[in-house]
Parts: sequence; structure tokens; C-alpha cells
Amino acid sequence: MAERKGPPPTGIIEEIPFIKPVEATLTNGLPVYLLEGGTEDILKIELVFFAGSYFQPSPLVCFSMVNLLKSGTMGRTAGQISETLDLYGTYLQEDAQKDIASLGVFVLNKHLEPVLDLFQEMVKAPVFPEDEMRTFLKNQKHRHLVNNQKVQYLARTYFNELLYGPEHPYGYRLQVSDFDQVERQRLVDFHKEHIHPGNAFCLVSGRLPENILELLEKKLGQADWPAGKVGSPPHYVSGTASEKKVLVEKPGALQSAVRVGRRLFNRTHPDYHRLMITNALLGGFFGSRLMQNIRQDKGYTYGIGSGLVSLLRDGYFFISTEVGVDVCQKALDQVYLELNRLRTTPATEDELQTLKSYLYGQFLRSFDGPFSRAERFKEIRAFQMDMSHYQGFLSELKGINSGQVMQTAGKYLHEDSMIELVVGKKGDAGL
Amino acid sequence: MVKFEKHTLSNGLRVLFHRDPDTPMAAFNLLYDVGARDEHPEQTGFAHLFEHLMFEGSVNVNGFDRHLQNAGGENNAFTTNDITNYYITLPAQNLETAFWLESDRMLGLAFSEEKLAIQKNVVAEEFMQSYLNQPYGDTWLLLRPLAYRRHPYRWATIGESIDHIRKVDLQQVKDFFVTHYQPGNAILTVTGNLDAEKVFRLAEKWFGELPGRPAMNRNLPSEPVQTAERRLVVERAVPSSQIYLAFHCPERGHPDFFATDLLSDLLANGESSRLVRKFVKEEKIFSEVNAYLTGSLDPGLFVVHAKLHGEITAGQAEEALWKALRDSSLGVPGELELEKVRNKVEAAHTFSESHALAKAMNLAYYELMGDADQLNQLMEKYRSVQPDRIREMALALFRPENASVLHYLAEGSK
Repeated sequence: MAERKGPPPTGIIEEIPFIKPVEATLTNGLPVYLLEGGTEDILKIELVFFAGSYFQPSPLVCFSMVNLLKSGTMGRTAGQISETLDLYGTYLQEDAQKDIASLGVFVLNKHLEPVLDLFQEMVKAPVFPEDEMRTFLKNQKHRHLVNNQKVQYLARTYFNELLYGPEHPYGYRLQVSDFDQVERQRLVDFHKEHIHPGNAFCLVSGRLPENILELLEKKLGQADWPAGKVGSPPHYVSGTASEKKVLVEKPGALQSAVRVGRRLFNRTHPDYHRLMITNALLGGFFGSRLMQNIRQDKGYTYGIGSGLVSLLRDGYFFISTEVGVDVCQKALDQVYLELNRLRTTPATEDELQTLKSYLYGQFLRSFDGPFSRAERFKEIRAFQMDMSHYQGFLSELKGINSGQVMQTAGKYLHEDSMIELVVGKKGDAGL
Repeated sequence: MVKFEKHTLSNGLRVLFHRDPDTPMAAFNLLYDVGARDEHPEQTGFAHLFEHLMFEGSVNVNGFDRHLQNAGGENNAFTTNDITNYYITLPAQNLETAFWLESDRMLGLAFSEEKLAIQKNVVAEEFMQSYLNQPYGDTWLLLRPLAYRRHPYRWATIGESIDHIRKVDLQQVKDFFVTHYQPGNAILTVTGNLDAEKVFRLAEKWFGELPGRPAMNRNLPSEPVQTAERRLVVERAVPSSQIYLAFHCPERGHPDFFATDLLSDLLANGESSRLVRKFVKEEKIFSEVNAYLTGSLDPGLFVVHAKLHGEITAGQAEEALWKALRDSSLGVPGELELEKVRNKVEAAHTFSESHALAKAMNLAYYELMGDADQLNQLMEKYRSVQPDRIREMALALFRPENASVLHYLAEGSK
């Protein structure tokens, strides 16, 4: 008979075998990082540029530029490109974030050469046909209008605006008319200025063929793609809203989307790891206090969580949930109660142990497989950091005690320092 | 190629193991052969509500999630019209914790009125968050009863209405457990850098002592052959109109499933596919167009879905789609076009095999269909589809008498 009353013994890995990427620099200066691994003959190549929307001269330029790399080059039409990508069963991954922009491609090894050939052409010699751009923007406008009906989407965009102000690229909220006002020449200029090896790094992950570096050198490392100059980044003045509680009404909403949070700092701050762990206790996993209280104990929501967003030039903390309009205020009351409890009520030994064990497992999971490892490496490389950043997190996790968690909450997550946003309806006042 | 070993316990539980040397994590997937199709028509949404209750404690365990978190594990579950699937990933050396937790909730749940009441609320919020408070969120609540008249696929897994969820009582929950949650009705798969002998020993230790019960006899009403076109027009406060054409098509286990699946890829998988190229790129009348199969275990639906730009009416859009569907059924796909969709299937399949958890889920699913090794024959089946068969399937499917048409209109666009 199995002994069912108590859990079987468990072991925890406190040392994670970090696999450092193999580093190389191509002739034109492009830094390359190789992360070998996996069971299937597949790989991913990604070029990351320090060219996010922060650098764009007007809305949607970065986003359109990245997404239109596949819409025509000096040598091929959009139709020919999509035929080739589809023929080889390739997945493209276009990403336009606030700080970085990237183009990735997932490919079966056996199709690597022709796909890499196309990939380099898209990156180096796109032509951004006017007609393709208009079609793309028309479809994106359509999508934007649909998103504008979603309380969760609205909450995310309004909240960023509250944190950074409407003029700052981190806070700018897209307007419907923006989709009609993109000029093709801006894409051409943006590409010319920012998409070059001097402003980039390349990540290759998966089962790598032996000649991978030769291939990369041939396709991405030559003088036909020279490193340009990197100018100094633009300067913006941010302005956090003075209102502490904001309601954006959405008539007919059945649920309201709620965001509570504040600006803080990014992963380069000395207290970052500690804040990550403190945040996890509050709302970073299913066993967190917010989830246990507001979903599992009260049944007010399908889900609630909190997180830290690490931008290159700032960072912020947020709590996010969607709740029925009739229980919205009650849920908010509990959110503030938990923020208060975080800095006044120490985690019990059990609570802290569960949190630590979970985070170790989560950490291991987040490094599982070559593509995950590449993502983790990308996160720190963007900040010019190395793997010791993750070692630092593990040491912090090992040593942290409940007093330090409370202290961190008191320092950074005081309920009075939060901005509150409700999109939808607030319903009846709570207790 | 996902190599596996299989062992069936005397109580009927099927256990499959695949060794993946490339990960420090183990994946533990437990599939129960029960889904929304097994619900009573007056109690729709039950299987999914029950899934929520599986996390609320069992005979010997208080705090399923907490114990798993203590072992560095993460878990979740999903319910479909066909199955309920529970999955865990955790550091491989802590695998036994997953056996302890999952076997205990198969042994019995710690039911309580209070927990039931809370999870009813959570599911009601989920209903609102995912279906009612989203633009177009009620599409499948409309489309299913239009396409299915008798088969229980006529309701969605979340349920026909929140009222059905609200009415559930504790005795019904207990009965559902006894009927469906037992070893003979489940398939366990484990993947990770472990050895088979150890995994099977753990399976015997934790699941072997659970009593086997006679299997439920599934006797679902089959859907009568549709003989006339069906049509539903709704208006909603959405920014633009969409249309759906849903055609009855073969189930996943049917020999013609593969030709049908390739047909959907030819039509709308990728920017170079026929419908995307024609309507999104060239004519620019849709912002998006999709074609896909529901891929269910009983006969499913082939769905064509278009998002309309404002310049055309739903009627014009539908006419254009019909014309394209009839047209593609006339022409035989070219060699290159066929090669393209086969390559896409191969790539999707290969990428799905790069995740230990996905492999565990796939093995369980194909075992449910009769033999997990079918997973390893999939590519061969797609490769051997003849172009003629694709054309024949198009002709057989894309007929008005086989269509359920939904016009989901933006208010005031008529």
C-alpha cells in the first residue's frame, strides 16, 4: 500500500546548469550567440535590433517596418516570399517591442540554406511597397478596432498612458487615425538608420549544423551589410498622471478590467531580484495571495496576477484582473488588503518554502530547451548583462527571509503609492 | 518519431512512457475519456466545472497546487467536447509527487458545498471573460447549435448558459466522478529523462491499488445527415462583420481526415494559400480569412471564417467565398502546392515534438483513438494523400445542403 497521507520526499535543485552560449563575431561586427540543444532537427535564427518603438519618429513606424520585411525585397515580391516561406514550412516571428525589434525564423534543418538566403534578403534589402503597406495597415486597423472592444486591451494601453504620459513612447496609446497616417518613406529611413549589424545581435538555437558559423558568416557577416553608426537615443520627458484612481467607462461591459500598479525600475536595479520574489508571493503564481484570496476563496474572478515589466529605460509593477462589474469594488478592496498584508504580515515558513520551491521549478522550466534558453539569454543581452544575472536571482532566492520580503513590499509596494485603473464599470461600492 | 513503452495495469489504467534525454523536467499527462459530449442536455458545462473541482482537494490531500508547488511543479488542465486532460511538469527527480497527487484525486475527491459554490462563481466569471464580454465571443455558442441538431457537440464546453452551471448540485458532482473518473477510463503518459522500469513501478505503486470499475458505455445520438442549408443572422455591437461557413466533415480517426486537413491548408494556411492570397492580398475584401477543422473524435466541422472589411456586405462576401470553394474543388492542386502543404504539416508536427509535454499529450490522445503509435504514422498518412482525394473531399463538403452559415453583423451594417 502506498503511504498517501503525506507527500513523497522531494529534492530541489539549487544549482542550475547554465549552458553558456558560444559567442562569435562576424566580419561585419555582428555578434552571434549559439545555443545548442533539442531532440529534433530544427533551429531558430533571430536578429535582435535596438530599434523598438522608442526610436520611431511617429506611431506605427517600427511595427510596420518589422512586419513588412516579408512584403517585398529588391529581388522578390511579397507573393514570392510567402510562397517560399510556406513551401519550407517556415514560421516567421516579427516582434516590435518598446525597446527592441526582432525578426526570427523557425526552420527544419534540412531547409536551412534556402530559408537563410531569404531571411538575409528580407533583413538587408526590403523595399516596403506602398500597396503592401496600405493593405497591412488597413488590416491592422481592423484588428485595433476589435481590440478596442476588449476591456483587458484597453486597460493595458490606458494604464501605460497613466504611468508615462501620452507623449512618452512607453505611454503612447495608439489612435485609430494613426493607421491612416504612416508614410512609407519613414519606414525606409527607419530601416536604414537602425537595421544594421552595428545595432544588433544574432541568436541561433536548436540542433545546429556543424557549418552554422560559416553559413552565418556568408549570409549575414559580409561587407555587403556593413555596420552603421548608432546615434544617441532620443530623450523624452515622462509624466505620471496626477490622478490616483481612474475609471474609463465602457457601456455594456459585463466585467471590468482592473489594473493597479506603479512605476519602479528594471532588472538592473540592485533590489530587482528581491522585488521579483516579493511580487511572486503577492500575485506571481497560482498559489499567490491574490489568486488564493480573490479567486479561490471569494470566487470574484477567473484569474488575477501581478508582474514586473522591465523596460530598458524604466520598469513598472502591475496587478491585473477581470472581474464581474457587481463585485469590482469588493475585489479592489481585497487587492488593497493584500498589498497592505504583504508589508505587514510575514510569510509563514510553509508559505515561504512553497514560494521558493515553486520558483526554483519555474526557473528550471524557463531554461528548458534551446528556444527557452535563447529567450532567457535575449532578455539579459538586451540589457548588456550576462548569465551572472540569473545566478544572482538564485542566490537571492536561496537566502531571502520573510522579513526581507515585508521590507521590500514596504519600500516599493505601499498601497498608497499605487495608481488604480478600472475599465468597464465600477458597480456598487463595497464595504 | 516518439518511441514509447506501454503497460496496462490490472484495473485498466493504460500507462505510456517516452524517454526524452534533453530535459531536466518530467511531463505527466493524465487524460480522462470524458468531455462535454458526455453531458446531459440539461446540464451542459458540467465536465468543465468538474475539472475545476479536481483542484479543490482529494481524500488524502488538502491543497493539490501547494504540494505540487513544493515539488517545483506547475500544472493545468483543459476540457474539450471530447476529453478532459490534466497535465503537470516538474523537475524529473520529483516525479513521484505527481503520482501521489494524481492517484489520490482518482481515488476520491474531498467534495464540499462551499467549494462547489466558489467554483461555480469562478466558472461564471470565466464564461463572461471568455465568451460574453469579448467581441465575437459568443460565436461558437451560436454556431454549434446551428450545425448540430442532435449530437451533443451542439453545446460548447463552457455550457449552453450560465444557468446550467448555477443549477449543479453536489450529488450530481459525486455521480459524475463515479461514472467517469476511474482507471479504465484514463490514460497516463510520462515523458522525461527517466527509465521506463521506474515509471511503471511508480504507476503500479500509486495507481495499482485503485479499484477498477466497469467502463461506461458511451451511446451518443448520431447527427442526422443534413439535407438543407441552415442560416443564422445576428447583429451585435462589434466594429465589423464576420461570416462563418461550417460544413460537416470526417472525424479525426476517419481515413479521409488527412485529405480534408490538407484541403483546409491549401485554402487558408499561410499567406500564399488560396483564400488568403485572393481575398486578403489581391481583392482586399477581408482583413483575415481562415479555414480549419474542429478535429473532433465524432464527425466534426470544416469551418471557413472571414473577417470583412466595411466595403462589402455579408451577402457579397459569402458569394465570393462560395465561388472560391467551388473553384478550388474543380482544380486539382499542383505538385508544388501539394508539396507545400505537406511540408507545412511536417514542420508543425516536428515543432510539436520538440516539447516533452506536447509529446505526452499527443501520445495520450492517439492512444485514446486506439493506438498511440498512430502518432508516428501521421506524416506517412499525409504524404500518401492523393490529389484526387482532396478534390473529391472539396466536392463532397462544399455544398449548400451541408452548410451552416452564420452572418455575425456589426450593428447597422445591414
